[in-house]
Amino acid sequence: MTSLALRNLGARKLRSFLTALAILLGVMMVAGTYVLTDTIEQSFDKIFAESNEGVDAVVTSKQAVETDDNTEPPIDAGVLDRVREVDGVSIAEGNIGDPQVAIIDKEGERIGGGGAPTFAISASTSDAARERFDPLTYVEGGPPEAKDQVTIDKAAAEKGDFSLGDQVTLAGKTEARQYTLVGIATLGDVENFGGASLALLTLPEAQRITGKQGQFDQITVAAEEGVDQETLAKNIGAALPPTAEVETGEEDTESSQEDIGEFINILKTALLVFAGVSLFVAAFLIFNTFSITVAQRTREFAMLRTLGANRRQIITSVVVEAFAIGLGASVLGLLAGIGFAPVIGLLFDAIEIGLPKEGTVVETRTIVVALVLGTGLAVLAALIPAVRATRVSPVTGLREGAVLETSAGRRRRGVFGIALTALGGVVMALALFGALTPGEAWVGVGAATVFIGVALLSPRLVRPMASVVGRPLEATRGVAGRLARENTTRNPGRTATTAAALMIGLALVSFVTVFAAGLKGSIDDAIDEGITADLLLSNTDNFSDIPALAAEEVKDVPGVESSSPYRYTQAQVEGADGTSYLSLIDPATVSDIFDFDWREGSAETASDLGPTDAFVDEGWADDNDIGVGDSFAVTTPSGKELEYAVTGTFKDNTDFFGDYVASGQDAAAYGEADNVTNVFITLADDADGDAVRGEIEDVVDTAFPTAKVQNREELKDAIGSQLNQLLGVVYALLGLAVIVSLFGIVNTLALSIYERTRELGLLRAVGMSRRQVRRIIRYEAVITALIGAVLGLILGILFAILVSRPLADEGFVLKFPVATLLVLLVLAAIAGVLAAIGPARRASRLDVLKALAYE
Amino acid sequence: MNESPIVAAHDLVRVFGEGDAAVRAVDGVTIDFPEGAFTAIMGPSGSGKSTLMHMLAGLDRPTSGTVTIDGTDLSTLDDADLTELRRDRVGFVFQFFNLLPVLTADENILLPLSLAGRDPDNKLHDRLVEAVGLEDRLTHRPSELSGGQQQRVAVARALMSQPSVVFADEPTGNLDSKASEGILDLLRRAVDEFGQTVVMVTHEAYAAAIADRVLVLVDGRVVNDETPESTEHVHDLMNQAAA
Repeated sequence: MTSLALRNLGARKLRSFLTALAILLGVMMVAGTYVLTDTIEQSFDKIFAESNEGVDAVVTSKQAVETDDNTEPPIDAGVLDRVREVDGVSIAEGNIGDPQVAIIDKEGERIGGGGAPTFAISASTSDAARERFDPLTYVEGGPPEAKDQVTIDKAAAEKGDFSLGDQVTLAGKTEARQYTLVGIATLGDVENFGGASLALLTLPEAQRITGKQGQFDQITVAAEEGVDQETLAKNIGAALPPTAEVETGEEDTESSQEDIGEFINILKTALLVFAGVSLFVAAFLIFNTFSITVAQRTREFAMLRTLGANRRQIITSVVVEAFAIGLGASVLGLLAGIGFAPVIGLLFDAIEIGLPKEGTVVETRTIVVALVLGTGLAVLAALIPAVRATRVSPVTGLREGAVLETSAGRRRRGVFGIALTALGGVVMALALFGALTPGEAWVGVGAATVFIGVALLSPRLVRPMASVVGRPLEATRGVAGRLARENTTRNPGRTATTAAALMIGLALVSFVTVFAAGLKGSIDDAIDEGITADLLLSNTDNFSDIPALAAEEVKDVPGVESSSPYRYTQAQVEGADGTSYLSLIDPATVSDIFDFDWREGSAETASDLGPTDAFVDEGWADDNDIGVGDSFAVTTPSGKELEYAVTGTFKDNTDFFGDYVASGQDAAAYGEADNVTNVFITLADDADGDAVRGEIEDVVDTAFPTAKVQNREELKDAIGSQLNQLLGVVYALLGLAVIVSLFGIVNTLALSIYERTRELGLLRAVGMSRRQVRRIIRYEAVITALIGAVLGLILGILFAILVSRPLADEGFVLKFPVATLLVLLVLAAIAGVLAAIGPARRASRLDVLKALAYE
Repeated sequence: MNESPIVAAHDLVRVFGEGDAAVRAVDGVTIDFPEGAFTAIMGPSGSGKSTLMHMLAGLDRPTSGTVTIDGTDLSTLDDADLTELRRDRVGFVFQFFNLLPVLTADENILLPLSLAGRDPDNKLHDRLVEAVGLEDRLTHRPSELSGGQQQRVAVARALMSQPSVVFADEPTGNLDSKASEGILDLLRRAVDEFGQTVVMVTHEAYAAAIADRVLVLVDGRVVNDETPESTEHVHDLMNQAAA
């Protein structure tokens, strides 16, 4: 009896451990997310506070259009003279601070790889200004004093292996140039800007390299003694032209911090969603574990009740157990999360989002949320099994093999499951078609509802699915396969919940897989059908602009038929919701490079496009009730007002061109005179493609090191690999949920093996080998995993179909990456095998005599 | 009757625990079981009869001494070989929990053969099913069978692989007298009609009385080895042992 009690305890220890581990992983992800994002936010706050020290007021131009990069257009240099005249101004200094430059290392590669920006910053123009404003600490040398000198930050110098006196190449909106390194600096005691770099130039050179001659990005002001920031700002405000605005130094720091805070919030939300998925899966596991153990203890509870314990006392005892496990796991999860935060940070590094991460910030909120969430979830998931257990009357419970659930209860569960699944589907559909806002959140709620619904429904699916999945095993593996299949259907509810946990992870994985494949395929189609150019230039980071000059220089390469500048930018269309993306093209060459999918109009519509003409995306035009012959008004990011007459409509597949296409002749009005998004190139018919490409590359490599040459296939590959990178990160984040669900399989197996101890003893006695025992357990795990995987794949594909419906208008075509999906199935089966290792070993090592419970 | 015994034990000792707490459950048993005989092992609780059977059947290893089944010395076998031996050459009937609940009666009967991946002998199968009287219950699950029926399935399973020896551990311990009678009759027929060797552990005199031979164990030693004449005779043997 002692050995039995010990084994019992052992089984419980393992069960508690595995349950705790599931909660731990979920909480770890939540806590890690908070710690990471808080750390990033604090690091940024510090950077902004440091760089704004000594600044009492900041003058910038007004932001006319809310663009994605959220930067103000430059301000006219003349404003500086007005500011200097204002009462209370002691020093006013015009600055450049532009993130669109690159430091090129000795191998010709950009430092930081393009993931994090490099800022061109202007050096102070007077000693007084330097003393007051300059946030930099010069570790070596000093600020640049001539136009061919540069000072860069310490991290960039180390990365590029630069030392004072070296020649450093900088690329901006003009041809790249070499500068002599005269200083290496840090920003106060901040060493890590999260991969961002600084290049300090003299003011005129900074203006030249950023294409802002006669302009500043901002004017920083110091007040005279005794003048407070508010008074100063008010005085300056009165003197400014209507296009400019002023903030106090403090306000400016705060608004910078808020801007970055918004960005970090998006990251935080995304990460928390994934953490939520893990916790959701963990809840399934906890629920299942408690269901099983409570069922195993029905007799114990019944006995307690006959001895006079009331229902509440029994429920309390189960809940207390869950509370203890939940709290313990949450505390460990919190600690693990603090350690895990940098690991999540690596994911950003993987997709080249450089973010500063200095120190470790653990807010009270992090602790509270982690503990409440983990403990609450454990208690909640244990409550239903506890209530269910005590519903059995004591007398019934005492009988051997008391069944906790009636068939009527099971039927009710099935009906409820169907209802929830349908409800979830409807919620998703409504959210996707804009009837529920915010759409993303409601889609999530709908999906979670579907998951719960299918989980409730799935006990009915277990038997048929186990037949299908288990049949081949039975046919090839004989009695072990047969027993495994029968064992999984013995308690369909248990198998279903275990499989459902894996289903969630796999549904999301296959959803993103199918969706990404559709996206990739649609983009490929759009490129194949829409772009006729032979080559294109784009930024090596794949999204930033490149100098407009590149189009001119490439045009002169022999063998180039046409070189067409293309700009993708934003503006505010009067009367339209949100800002519009738009394309600016060169009408003279556009017919060589693009083949628009015309609805009204023809290639001539594009080549005859006048400076005040535009042709528009059909869908957008319909939404805004605009047609050919109408006109619409636009405010550009630099605050210019333009009016366009609509000369045609086209179908914009995958939203490549944006809402409207206009002539690049007005690029200056959009603040885009000096830079382009791409240059599209067609070669002469008789040109030697490789040779011409080689010459174009020579031009680009020396003069425009931030640009690269691609053909259509390479463009598709580049987009594909970017998508894959992103996909990899999503897989990694979902991986945690899958791991949690594997613990679920381990847990369920361990518990059912414990229940079947005598049976296993019998099998061993009548001649089942250890290997055969292991095989049974392994097949059980594989069958369970495959049920989860198949359900997950089906749901994932359905989700992808549903989510892509509203995008069909934009040319989104679903593609089913059959091979990848099959690989997912195989991986699920392998995961099942892995999950079975421990339980199978345990089962095969049972002492036959003890298992038969003889002694 | 064959000259060489089908199961032979030589100076078997099984000690549980260590030092002062050591208990000699089986203490120097040497015994032969000839082929085609029905032997009952009796003894009061704690006499070591079950332990002896476990060692004879290859479920437990002796502290010292040897067991030979059909010429194979069990001490030379590792776990996998022992398992195979149990599967192919030993049949079992336990007191409780003989059948796998997820398999039908027929699948339970064929279990050792399935484990071995061997094809069943259809003639034998039909004869056995007829003998145990379960023709119309073959597709039922154990939960749909009475205790007596379940035990009969267990006997059929034990005989199906045509083992060298069938070990039955208190096969009637959990049954009413009518069902017990059926099982004992079945075991007897196994010996008489199928030529099986059967070793049965029991503490019930009427059960032992149908055997060809009764061994009485006390404190791990064989104290009596006789041919039972009647239930009363067996009672007497037991009473002698208790005295």
